[in-house]
Amino acid sequence: MAGASFELAAGEVHALVGANGAGKSTLSRIISGHLQADRGVIRLEGREIRHAGSREAIRSGIVMVTQETSLAPDLSVLENIMLPRLGMPGTLRWRELRAQARTLVAEFGDEIGLHLDTPVRELSTGQRQLVEIAKALALDSRIIIFDEPTAPLSPHESETLFEIIRGLAARGRGLIFVSHRLEEIFEVTDRVTILREGHVVAAGEPTATLTQGELVRLMVGRELSNIYSNPGNTPSRSEGQPVLRVRHLSCPPRVRDVSFEVHGGEILGLAGLVGAGRSETLETIFGLRHAAGGTIELRGHPFRARSPRDAIRAGIGFVPEDRRRQGIVPDFSVRENLLLAHLGRHAGPGLGYGACTEAVGKLLELLELPRHRVLDANMLTFSGGMQQKAILARWLVLDPQLLLLDEPTRGVDISTRSSIYALLRRIAAQGVACVVVSSDFEEVIGLADRIVVLSDGTDVTDIPSRLVDIEKLAMFAAPRSSAQRTHSVLASLVRQTGGVAYWIAIEGDRVYCFDRVGDDGAADPGFSGGAFPQVTDTNIPAALQQPTERVVSDGSRRTLLAPIRGRRGHSLGLVGLTLAGLPPGFDAAALCRRIQTTLSVSAEAA
Amino acid sequence: MSVLATEPPRERALHHRLLHLLASQIELRMILVIIVVMACLSLISPYFLTVSNLFNVMDQSVVVGLIAIGQTLVILIGGIDLSVGSLVGVTGIVLGLTSMGAGLYVGIAACLAAGALGGLLNGVVITYGGVAAFVVTLGTMSIGRSMAYVLSNASSITELPPGIANISGTVDGLPVNFTCLIVLYALGWWFLTYAKGGRTLYAIGSNVEAARVAGLSITLWSVLAYVASGVMSAIAAIFLASRVLSIDPIGGAGLELDSIAAVVIGGASLFGGRGSIVGTLAGVFIMVFIRNGLNLLNVSPYWQGTAIGSIIIAAVLIERLLSRAPGQR
Repeated sequence: MAGASFELAAGEVHALVGANGAGKSTLSRIISGHLQADRGVIRLEGREIRHAGSREAIRSGIVMVTQETSLAPDLSVLENIMLPRLGMPGTLRWRELRAQARTLVAEFGDEIGLHLDTPVRELSTGQRQLVEIAKALALDSRIIIFDEPTAPLSPHESETLFEIIRGLAARGRGLIFVSHRLEEIFEVTDRVTILREGHVVAAGEPTATLTQGELVRLMVGRELSNIYSNPGNTPSRSEGQPVLRVRHLSCPPRVRDVSFEVHGGEILGLAGLVGAGRSETLETIFGLRHAAGGTIELRGHPFRARSPRDAIRAGIGFVPEDRRRQGIVPDFSVRENLLLAHLGRHAGPGLGYGACTEAVGKLLELLELPRHRVLDANMLTFSGGMQQKAILARWLVLDPQLLLLDEPTRGVDISTRSSIYALLRRIAAQGVACVVVSSDFEEVIGLADRIVVLSDGTDVTDIPSRLVDIEKLAMFAAPRSSAQRTHSVLASLVRQTGGVAYWIAIEGDRVYCFDRVGDDGAADPGFSGGAFPQVTDTNIPAALQQPTERVVSDGSRRTLLAPIRGRRGHSLGLVGLTLAGLPPGFDAAALCRRIQTTLSVSAEAA
Repeated sequence: MSVLATEPPRERALHHRLLHLLASQIELRMILVIIVVMACLSLISPYFLTVSNLFNVMDQSVVVGLIAIGQTLVILIGGIDLSVGSLVGVTGIVLGLTSMGAGLYVGIAACLAAGALGGLLNGVVITYGGVAAFVVTLGTMSIGRSMAYVLSNASSITELPPGIANISGTVDGLPVNFTCLIVLYALGWWFLTYAKGGRTLYAIGSNVEAARVAGLSITLWSVLAYVASGVMSAIAAIFLASRVLSIDPIGGAGLELDSIAAVVIGGASLFGGRGSIVGTLAGVFIMVFIRNGLNLLNVSPYWQGTAIGSIIIAAVLIERLLSRAPGQR
């Protein structure tokens, strides 16, 4: 950090961006009192302030939402939200605090499933982040700093958070938003300050005047054209024997019925929301969890790992979600961290490090890590991106056949991200099968050849990434619990009129079916839930080619399609009904209206 | 960089290894502290640096030194073994009872087996049962002492096979017991630096989740650390018996705290992952030197506890302050 200036106005959302190590965390930690500046001043409403610690900063109305590091795991959600109260004078009135906490949590919506009395250690990463946010909101501060708040959140949770942020800004609060995700910056912030190597390279530019490309160029100091190295139209290598075939895998409570396969040289994306069972699926394959049912085949042979050791010996590598907790051994040098999985596989009594020297050297070259600086250094002194590369390299030492990656670019800056993508491409090109879990739909589409979407522990579709976009992935990924409303509307339609009801989206010449109820063969539209056929391959091409709110005939099939929209007017697809013949007194317009009024707001949750 | 790269690789590796050893600053600091302590003591008491006193000091360091090896392994994985003192008591009694009837060698074997069994019990309950090491070893500490009284009928065993005294004798002027201690420390150093098991212990203590994901054998090596601690207690019991030529059921009392103190003075973290066998050996010497010095100075035994306690706290405090580099925990 060197002579950076920053200005925040009341009622604005101000983005603070920069590559890793640019100093955005340092700056936000100085403002929030976690760190002290060597030189320079901070003025709050014209008055100079100097904080000796975060408690003083909280008193002057500044609070920071960190990345799930400041929660006490054994305390309940309620106690964590109200934790800062313990540092304030006066007695605690739990009844009032509980009521206040309930209101705060309610803002996130019901489907988050956050109960005030649950101990925080039982929560998922996304839920913890929401608790962290609620904790900051409870202080009702004038300035709130969000340090990468959306990293562990699902798109829907992020969306909810943005609405909360906009609401806070409208009430005159000043908000600082630190994020790696550029699309979020454009969605939620009013102005941007860009840092590079401790200096401000753009101070308070209105977000609307910048393009994504300009933002990236200012951040990294050079042009970064296409960060995904996906050739885009590579044919999916689905011929031949798959490296991994998973059939009806279950591991309660998160994984219920998951089937998919991945071939050598292919990158498969496992998309879905937090809690959909993606990480748990990987962990079950890797032997960190024990499957309750289903089968796993490796190169055609039945396989079941009782421990990670079995999986590693079978040629599987696993890059876990949480680097700090599951990846890095902090007291080991980078060299020994690189060789940790080798140590796990090594059979003899010694270390066998000597035999790996050459492999390690080659890997460091591949990763563009400076050998003389890296080997004996401590992992924790490196940026998140470097750490992630080292954890990846740990598995490459073993020449795996199958690489499982859980959120491989979480907390990694954009320039390192693109080199990780390129690396994964190269690994795949050598014939390794890769399975990548990511909550970032844009990343899944950009990186993967094929995407399997999980929802509530079940695979709902298996689709080539070039045929899908972010909106449709989000609709496929909608958890069964929040798509329940749509499902029950479909069911009630079928009960009432017979035929087949479905929830679809149409894009170009393709129809994407998210859900379907009814099995009347005479009314079969020609697609089922999770399918994405070409319109002309369905049984109702005429209806799908020109969706109107009127009844359209395809031979004997009569189809009615009702578009549904979210609260902010964006399309949430169509609800359709196909009948073998129209019943007497069928009022298409009234039925459309009813579907739309029931679904348009509730489907927002999806 | 280019200069380094032109060096022959083998020479560089050796040179590198030496540097690495020296750069493990904690050992270097420890040796410095030992020299300072020795210098102070020799200034205060002219008797301190005499051969007979140094032999005396070596002799005194053997029992606590042996136990501290096992304690180091256990503390490295973030555990603790409070049962070592009691295990010295009960394995000593086993040694006495069996060697009276079946001879010294059988006695020694039974003693070692008893120590291993005690350690195995600790390790299995802690690792598989998931009970805190402090609680489990607190329990076995009580059980061990009680068993020592039960087995011995609460009386000392003085009829020991005559061969046992040889263990504390000298061969070619070298004290057998101290030589054994140094050999075991060298083995321990090799194990923790160059063996898979040793590095696994460090990884477990530093980040057990990461070690699990990397496929290391966590349960196996955790249990073995406690078994090693039990076996070290049994070896300590043998050397203790050979030195006093009598076995008392109260034998070994207080060694759990002395051994933990030695490990902690040696720079280990009680949270695991950090520490070294060389540091532990230095910690043992510092403890023994100071106790010896206090005796030479005729400090009342009542005051010695205060002095040693203060020195433990001060040593660890200074070490923490010195090693607190910016950006470290």
